[in-house]
Amino acid sequence: MKLYEYEGKELFKLVGIPVPRGTVTEEPIKWDGKAVVKSQLLEGGRGKRGLVKVTDDVYSTIEELKKAGVKKFLVEEYIPHNRELYISALIDRETAEPIIVASPEGGIDVERATNVKVFHVPLERGLRDFDVIQIEKYLDVKGLKGVVQGLYRIVTEYEAELAEINPLAVKDDGVIALDSKVILEDNALFRHQDLLQKLGRSYEKPESFVELDGDIGIIGNGAGLTMATMDMVKLMGGEPADFLDIGGGAGSDKVEESIIKLARNPKVKKIVMNIYCGITRCDEVAQGIIKALEKVRIPIYVRLVGTNEEEGRKILSQKGISTYEDPLTCIGEALRS
Amino acid sequence: MTGREGSFHTKHMLDYGTKVVAGVTPGKGGSEVHGVPVYDTVADALKEHDIDATIIFVPARFASDAIFEAIDNGIPLIVAITEHIPVLDMLKVKRYAKLKGSRIIGPNCPGVIVPEEINLGIYPPRAFRKGKVGIVSRSGTLTYEIAEVIKKEYGQSTVIGIGGDPIIGTSLDEVVEMFEKDPETEEVVIVGEIGGTMEEKVAKMKMEGRISKKIVAYIAGMTAPKEKRMGHAGAVVYMGMGTFESKMKAFKEAGIPVATTPYDVLKLL
Repeated sequence: MKLYEYEGKELFKLVGIPVPRGTVTEEPIKWDGKAVVKSQLLEGGRGKRGLVKVTDDVYSTIEELKKAGVKKFLVEEYIPHNRELYISALIDRETAEPIIVASPEGGIDVERATNVKVFHVPLERGLRDFDVIQIEKYLDVKGLKGVVQGLYRIVTEYEAELAEINPLAVKDDGVIALDSKVILEDNALFRHQDLLQKLGRSYEKPESFVELDGDIGIIGNGAGLTMATMDMVKLMGGEPADFLDIGGGAGSDKVEESIIKLARNPKVKKIVMNIYCGITRCDEVAQGIIKALEKVRIPIYVRLVGTNEEEGRKILSQKGISTYEDPLTCIGEALRS
Repeated sequence: MTGREGSFHTKHMLDYGTKVVAGVTPGKGGSEVHGVPVYDTVADALKEHDIDATIIFVPARFASDAIFEAIDNGIPLIVAITEHIPVLDMLKVKRYAKLKGSRIIGPNCPGVIVPEEINLGIYPPRAFRKGKVGIVSRSGTLTYEIAEVIKKEYGQSTVIGIGGDPIIGTSLDEVVEMFEKDPETEEVVIVGEIGGTMEEKVAKMKMEGRISKKIVAYIAGMTAPKEKRMGHAGAVVYMGMGTFESKMKAFKEAGIPVATTPYDVLKLL
């Protein structure tokens, strides 16, 4: 679960990471002096898109951003500072241990930065003073203990996948987090009901769905097969509109929902379904397709094999929907027509 | 194994010829599932049976407890089918297993199958035939798909689904090393995806001459956008690590042919 910047900063306060004084608002407000107005969106790159503004006139800045379609704002005191740093905590999958990632350059795109250093902090021993000293030496700054400790706690106690401060501002009298990026782990949210309540969020089951820019709707079962189907559509000259994995053991309702969801997107011109049934059953998939097509009209190309294959194909052919055994032929037909 | 999935797949595994001797569900000791006795604890089961592998169908919240119990009782091979186990749980489980000498396959995986002998997993039998190619895969359905593609001409020695989570018990490179030592396996197919750096590790092993058997690969996720999770919690590129491009490059440098689609794997073997 991705947190908004202001939610991430709430969590920062809980673990003792200093943040600027600020307030969240949906309407223009009065503010004395210089401030930063930050659009609250879950996507990155807000700065580049002009959605973060330093201003002396908070009221009209919010009015202006509202016209651009932004609904929620974090208004914060402007913090003069000397330097900006990058620091984050996450779990390293290779070593299966928490790491602190740091760079003396803030505001960076960490993927492209070259001066990024990783510090391993095994869970068995937890964060120690010597860890902090090493990180402080690398970043050439003092007084990081609270920040590092806080980020480490967000990952190991609140089970975040990622807790990131970019940038962390260095002032004459200490450091302060100018931004927050926190992604809580969906699978662990059941252990953190208190936090969800505090943030006013309720848990929604994450969907295996990612929207893309093309016009071919992709539905598959299993993450790998769905990704492979997207890739094949692209290789054969099409543009995938999405990634949608119905998961293992999906019933007809789930299949119906998935098709309707894609069909409602005006960008989607046709749908390619690639289904290899194991736990999932072809007849269930077929029934889902029939139910969906009663509600939406969209060309659909179905590759269907595996458990209860004959029953599934029969259900579809009775309604005049052809199926394919070979996914490449199926995708080829979809792209040609 | 008294739950819906556990009971269903126990039947399938028994039908395939797998010797399932005991099940464990706290509170259900003394009952039976498809003729297999159920015990309250692993320790109870071990008093009556010799057990060298276990398969976990326990719901995510309690799955790590079940794996810890298996590790503590010295079961050498633990196959975890369960999906959605929290990362921090797996982190602890993995490190404890290493300490105690148990091997975990998974979680969030289809298991292990030795065609025509043992199905320790949820594999649909139609895709498998005894043969000489080893398959190791990060994805379930894609494993069935590729197994089926090579079924007629080659068949499979052993097929291992290692799972799509960020932290898994056994990695691609570890399985490739096992296939290298396995006399039943002549060639190896690896099915990778974006995220992590396991594929790059295999490429390095090949380049250093530590693997002599032929490896053929497929990688899913060419068109996946970065920092978006593609279903599998592990299939996400954070901080530029484990992109499709980096995996392709590593395989190319190591002379490992990569199939453009899953259906091209056959041509490369």
